[in-house]
Amino acid sequence: MVELREYDQKTLQALKKLDGKGTIEEIVKASSLAHAAVMRAALKLSNEKLVQLQERTRTIVALNEEGRTYAEKGLPERRLIRSLFNLGGTAKIKEVTNNAKLKKSLEPIALGWLRRKNWAILSGKEKILRASEEPKEGTDEKVIGLLAKKNTIVTQELDNEMRKALKVLRRRKLVNIKDENIRTMELTVAGRKLIKRGIKIVEEVSQLTPELIITGKWRDTKLRKFNVSADGPQTYPGKIHPLQQIIERTREIFLQMGFTEIRGPLVETAFWNFDALFQPQDHPAREMQDTFYLSNPKAGRLPKKTIVDVVARAHEDGWTTGSKGWGYKWSHSEAKRLLLRTHTTAETIKYLSKHKKVPIKVFSVDKVYRNEQLTYKNTAEFYQIEGIVVDKGVTFRDLMGTLKAFYSRFGLEKVQFWPCYFPYTEPSAQAMVYVPKLKHWMELCGMGIFRPEVLAPMGIKHPVLAWGGGLERIAMLELGLKDIRLLYGNQLGWIRGTPLCQ
Amino acid sequence: MPVITLHEERFSKFVGRKVTLTEMTKWIPWLGFDIEEEGEDYLKVEFNPNRIDFCSYVGVTRAFKGLRGWETGLPDYKAKDSNITLKITEAVAEVRPFMLAAVVRNMELDEGDVADLMEMQEDLHWGIGRDRKKASIGVHNLDAVRPPFTFTAVSPNSVKFVPLDKNEEMSLQEILQKHEKGVAYKHLIDQSPNYPVLIDRNEHVLSMPPIINGELTKIKEKTTNLFLDVTGTDYEAVEKSLNVLCTSLADMGGEIEKVTVEYPDQSRFSPNLSPEKMDLKTTFANSSLGLHLSTAEIIECLERSRLGARRIKKGVIEVAIPAYRIDILHEIDLVEEVAIGYGYYKLKPTFPSSVTIGEQHPTLKIANLTRQIAIGLGFTEMMNFTLTNESIQYEKMRRKEEKDITLANPVSAEYTIMRQDLLPGLIKNLAANRHESFPQKLFEVSDVVKLNDKNETLCERRLHIAAVSSHPKANFTEIKSIAEALITNIMVGEWKIKETEHPSFLKGRVASIRTKNREIGIVGEIHPEVLNNFGLENPTVAFEINLETLIG
Repeated sequence: MVELREYDQKTLQALKKLDGKGTIEEIVKASSLAHAAVMRAALKLSNEKLVQLQERTRTIVALNEEGRTYAEKGLPERRLIRSLFNLGGTAKIKEVTNNAKLKKSLEPIALGWLRRKNWAILSGKEKILRASEEPKEGTDEKVIGLLAKKNTIVTQELDNEMRKALKVLRRRKLVNIKDENIRTMELTVAGRKLIKRGIKIVEEVSQLTPELIITGKWRDTKLRKFNVSADGPQTYPGKIHPLQQIIERTREIFLQMGFTEIRGPLVETAFWNFDALFQPQDHPAREMQDTFYLSNPKAGRLPKKTIVDVVARAHEDGWTTGSKGWGYKWSHSEAKRLLLRTHTTAETIKYLSKHKKVPIKVFSVDKVYRNEQLTYKNTAEFYQIEGIVVDKGVTFRDLMGTLKAFYSRFGLEKVQFWPCYFPYTEPSAQAMVYVPKLKHWMELCGMGIFRPEVLAPMGIKHPVLAWGGGLERIAMLELGLKDIRLLYGNQLGWIRGTPLCQ
Repeated sequence: MPVITLHEERFSKFVGRKVTLTEMTKWIPWLGFDIEEEGEDYLKVEFNPNRIDFCSYVGVTRAFKGLRGWETGLPDYKAKDSNITLKITEAVAEVRPFMLAAVVRNMELDEGDVADLMEMQEDLHWGIGRDRKKASIGVHNLDAVRPPFTFTAVSPNSVKFVPLDKNEEMSLQEILQKHEKGVAYKHLIDQSPNYPVLIDRNEHVLSMPPIINGELTKIKEKTTNLFLDVTGTDYEAVEKSLNVLCTSLADMGGEIEKVTVEYPDQSRFSPNLSPEKMDLKTTFANSSLGLHLSTAEIIECLERSRLGARRIKKGVIEVAIPAYRIDILHEIDLVEEVAIGYGYYKLKPTFPSSVTIGEQHPTLKIANLTRQIAIGLGFTEMMNFTLTNESIQYEKMRRKEEKDITLANPVSAEYTIMRQDLLPGLIKNLAANRHESFPQKLFEVSDVVKLNDKNETLCERRLHIAAVSSHPKANFTEIKSIAEALITNIMVGEWKIKETEHPSFLKGRVASIRTKNREIGIVGEIHPEVLNNFGLENPTVAFEINLETLIG
């Protein structure tokens, strides 16, 4: 048994009233349903083969303003011929038009049609009109009359002759015409049978209301069935940025591994960014083409003299570290220059200069800067991941193990460590990670043990294991991006459409 | 980073046995090379500037042979006296104070060798010379000139010679003005009244350091005897450059001879290729690497890294460092040599037993809680750059320019200052997302940077939140209730909303958010002129709050 909704049933009843057949408009009127409801019912009922749907086009004609005037006063040529007979059947044009009280502009039209319809003869220099008998009402006039009476007519309902006349009226621009699609529903045999059995209408409700719930009326109410697979309006939730999501995941991994988060300034002195990390003052990485320096404010302040002096010595001759140093004259003013930090290690070394109690495990996932043009693979600012372990007796192999544990949390299990060089670590390595998604090895981060020339001036007594690398590589890998600009493009479409669990 | 292209055949020639490309690819990364490109019969590899001796085939192959155990220990470089003298006059002291030299005889240079030699010079100029400032190299055909040589400085128009690859004489002055190398490097000498030249006994010009050599002593295939000069402003850089070059040429088959370099106050033999000595404690090596190697094993590792090593007492090894190594500053550098000789690939990762409890940074904890509430309020997160420009920060926001944190060397007009507020970025985001469906509700929890004299850096990093809501019915009431919901859900404490004025907001529809006597934020309807400036069509409401003052 087909389950019919309230409006399906009401539609069937309306059709019964209409003797089994009616247009949508007629059904709307007969059923008092909304147009949309009847349309939905039409679909459902025809799917169930209870009705047959037909669609045809009809052309609807109505008089326009000029047409309505003629319907009242007669066509100009009719008014002219009437005047001619008033004047006895023979008269000068002038007299006839005067008698007809036609507007000047209508005279040529009236005369033209008079002659075309052969109602009168014009002759002689005197321009005398003659007619023998008053002509009968023409088909065109009948159509005008009909239109005046019924307001609109459907051309498809007219006979041939009238349709021809209508064409003439259309040319004379006396009517408006428009096409209309007409959908008709007609009960099928099955539909009629169903109605014969009788339809009892149960009221349906689409929205469950507090009132229905409180009063318990919901028990007697039929809740309308929804088409659950129909498309509804799209909803966009408030949402975290996909890159932030990956930052959070990275932070979580560090926290799970017992690391404490540190956070430092974005604007740094060259001292903490470079000098404290034993990067000589003429090192290429310190040049303007790699590092953003500030023009305002230009120079900052150095930390206490006891630290600055020994850092200077470490650069110049190695101080007490046993190192040869870089062998140049260290400059205070170079160290005071303000810049946008190029790595989070600037904060790390500052932190380690103040925190001495081991074990220390700290990390940051934070913003750093490089003097780079924005391209598909570079940005001037990006996020760096950094992890640090300081403890008595920790080793280079411990660093490898820590790093391996860290990246395995990202599903990157295969790691190789290749020799590498960084000014402030020794021994150093770079971690190459096998990416199953891409099926190749990828460089993910640099690592090493802080050099004695870095440790001694800060009074650090134990080995410092350090690793660091860009977050964006992992982020792009995770999000399947090839262009880093998309990561920072803040395209709402992309953010709305990117699932968070990847 | 410097790059060298290694062809399988030439590589094998210098190794002295057949090495396939596959073997090269497998082993070369364990010396610290990055493979940039793999060709059919060659590898293009990148090396670190601390190993500038990798700038030639012989430099790479001698390390390769060591790693594979085919030839280990200290390469021995001998140099006999050439009886050639180089005189350094007092005149060069203020412009190019140092010069060292060497003679190389009986070279059989082929096309590849000449190319190598050029490549080596470029890498040394960059890697040690800091683009010729600290040191620059000249390689000459010794047979085209007659010793003794003199390095002196002369007035710019007093000497003429034909520069390399040209066919007419130019004065030193003309070279600085017209020659491409002169134009590129004139800043290294043009502050001096006299320019440096290297001349022979007949006053023929070998070169004008550090600008250009003369055509006279040009190296060609079949040149057999070479005169090398290195000049500079840093003695150590000069010496190291010469040593890397000499040892490479020796490994390419040349015989090195010493030159007597006579400074006004002293004279010395050059080059000095005798190895430097440094002690390594075995316990230091083992404890740094996490290994338990015996003294003999450590010696073997060092020898594979092409260092000389011998036990001098219990637990101490004396290491001899070849003259081409410029990167050994400290005992710790020898530890890395042990690791490379041992093989990084053999180092098994271990996990440290350090037990610690991790903690979030308090500021970032607040940032995340704030994010949660903003998302709960239906807002989507944006992440903008902290770098911005005056037009977005001020002009388009109808604001007067303030004192900024400004870049000295911006890379584009787009990014010239540090942002002081988050809001302009969010408005820009709306402008970039006009085609997306509305309502658009965006927020950002991130950093702004403000001037602050109290800090070492005269700047302060500050955590803000800003949010915008843009749709046809956006109004003050909406955003005020959102801002209030946010604040009450983050902090405990008193705050109030007070009428105010702000050029980016509509007058009468903007309020300041205050705690006690301090403004901590602003909320209101964005001024239609701002909307016009950014090409926005929908009414837009916004707020921005300094989270750090909110937290206290």
